[in-house]
Amino acid sequence: MKKLSMAIVLTLLISMLAACSSNGGSSNTGTPQSSNNGSSSSASGNASSEKVTIDFWHSMGGANGERIDAMVKRFNESHDNIEVVATFQGGYDETVTKLQQSIASATGPDVSMLERAYVQMFSDSEVLADLNPFLQQSGMDESYFIEGLMGHSTFNDQLVSLPLNRSTPIMHVNKTILDELGMDVPTTWEELKAVANAAVVKEDNEITRYGMSMPYDTWYPLAMISQSGSRFFDEAGTTVPFVTDGTGEEVFGFLKDMQGTGALFYPPSADSGNIVNGMFTEGKLAILYQSTGTIGGLIQNVDFEYVTAFLPQNEMFATPTGGANVVMLEDSDSKDAAWEFMKWMLTDENGALPFIVESGYLPVTHAMIESDMIKEQWEKEPVRKTAYEQLQYAVDTNKDVAWPSIMHEFFSAIEAIMYDSEDIAGTLQGFQKEAERLLSE
Amino acid sequence: MTQVFPIARRVLEYVLKLCLLMVFIFPFLWMISTSLQTFRETLAYPPTLVPAVPQFVNYLTALEAGPFGTYFKNSIIITLSIIVMQMVVLIPAAYGFAKYSFRGSGFLFSLVLLAFMIPGQVTFIPVYLMMADWGIGRTLLPQIIPFMTNAFGIFLLRQYFKQVPEELIEAARLDNASELKILWKLMLPMSKPALATIALFSFVSHWNDYFWPLVMTDSAAVRPLTIGIAMLRETEGISNWHVIMAGNVILVLPILLVYIFCSKQIVKAFVYSGIK
Repeated sequence: MKKLSMAIVLTLLISMLAACSSNGGSSNTGTPQSSNNGSSSSASGNASSEKVTIDFWHSMGGANGERIDAMVKRFNESHDNIEVVATFQGGYDETVTKLQQSIASATGPDVSMLERAYVQMFSDSEVLADLNPFLQQSGMDESYFIEGLMGHSTFNDQLVSLPLNRSTPIMHVNKTILDELGMDVPTTWEELKAVANAAVVKEDNEITRYGMSMPYDTWYPLAMISQSGSRFFDEAGTTVPFVTDGTGEEVFGFLKDMQGTGALFYPPSADSGNIVNGMFTEGKLAILYQSTGTIGGLIQNVDFEYVTAFLPQNEMFATPTGGANVVMLEDSDSKDAAWEFMKWMLTDENGALPFIVESGYLPVTHAMIESDMIKEQWEKEPVRKTAYEQLQYAVDTNKDVAWPSIMHEFFSAIEAIMYDSEDIAGTLQGFQKEAERLLSE
Repeated sequence: MTQVFPIARRVLEYVLKLCLLMVFIFPFLWMISTSLQTFRETLAYPPTLVPAVPQFVNYLTALEAGPFGTYFKNSIIITLSIIVMQMVVLIPAAYGFAKYSFRGSGFLFSLVLLAFMIPGQVTFIPVYLMMADWGIGRTLLPQIIPFMTNAFGIFLLRQYFKQVPEELIEAARLDNASELKILWKLMLPMSKPALATIALFSFVSHWNDYFWPLVMTDSAAVRPLTIGIAMLRETEGISNWHVIMAGNVILVLPILLVYIFCSKQIVKAFVYSGIK
């Protein structure tokens, strides 16, 4: 008796559950569907063809996530035969994990945003589609895009990714402080050191204003290595020349010197970006090395004269690039439709352009730079133009499949030097050994 | 002298309690305070504790940032389904382990305890592949099925059932009560505190779960509130902490309500099992 009634209750509950969840599923597809009532005017070839759904995964939360959603809505409203479903998959790293996981279980998307440093890893696993044929078919070639942003696009003669939301580090300057000091915006490391030291304010032995800061990230040491004329990985991808040629010691020695005098505030690792943004906004920093992605937020919130400039040179100007590219998955069943969407994003003036303009990411094609939208913005907010101009010095020397794991080792070295003040040469030699082991794997 | 000493002791007791309370409650107060600040106030150092003008609009901004209706509905369906299913499975299981002696019961119970000790990180990849294989990735089921049993719940409820005197059950059997009736009319009413505890723990852990839904879901349609809140964060650029915290307040509100509702029962559960 007991068993029987339990079984009945159980079946009932399971069916209830199933009903609930299928409701949940179908009610969702309702949202994107409603958008195709919008306009039927677009040039869709044959009305009889069935609507193709393209899954597009991205890593944009917050306001930028809303801008991506708006972009996809514009696409769906102008394309009767394709429907793009955009889904946020967490930050860049989380998106990578989701992609790995979904590719293994054959539930991956058609198109995805992919942080540029991870492109090679996926390309080596042969899960990304070669975009060359699609580019040719559309009468385009690589010269359509800005050269400095194509560093993570071609691997093994295949064009596997195109730039989408790209950024670089630049120097954000509180010009009001520099004017008070009667100093110019620094263009070399020596000038930077002088300005940063002059900007320090101490009250009762406590520093209330630092000279400069940068988030806890590999980006800035990488930039400084290139600025000193060295490389992170050698061309062959076997070692880390910046350690053996002494550049590493020079870079970290420079940072430690500045940290010792209060000229450099090196933030705690957790949430470092927000911490230094806050300090800069509050006028507690004269200079900030930070991504171009923060320009929009800073313009809105600072109440001093805010300018941007190239990262200062040691022996040369140099900057790494960052942000994400867009890729097509080899497993996609609807590659033509997926390309249609990618092409639209990168070429149509209603594509990714409004997203790029509003977010502060870099324009990625020459056509975007010529567009009225970018021209108007640069006229109104010249701080944004600096980042594009700096691109002529873009160089990425951390390209290797092993980068994601070596990056963790590099972070450990940065922590040991910047937080625990361990011996620079010894720490870097330890890092070199570990990096070479990972490179040889 | 004898009068002063107890008073001093009590004062000390209250001061210590107050300190402890602050440790636990301060993060909540800060969250609520941040949720009512302007962007500038969130950046200020030293931190703003009381916003100049409470910005209730932050809540609206958070809610408008995504399909929060769907997220909220999903969270409720998932959490309630899990609790109901767990109760259906664990009540008979606990009754069996507590009041029946059958061959292999010790072994089976140790299996339950073993399940209690295996961390989810060990099993999530095979479980994910299994769910993908079944083709239910775009439903809410992958967030419910793996949690239909609750080893901790079986354990807790079994201990509770064991304290119900055997004589009561015998008396009921003499009155021709079915096992189901004994369970329903006798065991469950006497175990209310334990049931409330299990339900609340289950509710809190699944309502707050971030890891599992993040792994199991790849479309907004089936995602719960926790993932929706995480979406408010910027990947690059400047995060709007005031909006994120408003989202967090919305997230924890149901938990606080349920806790206020259940707290008496929970305290009872622990006091009871403490005396034994």
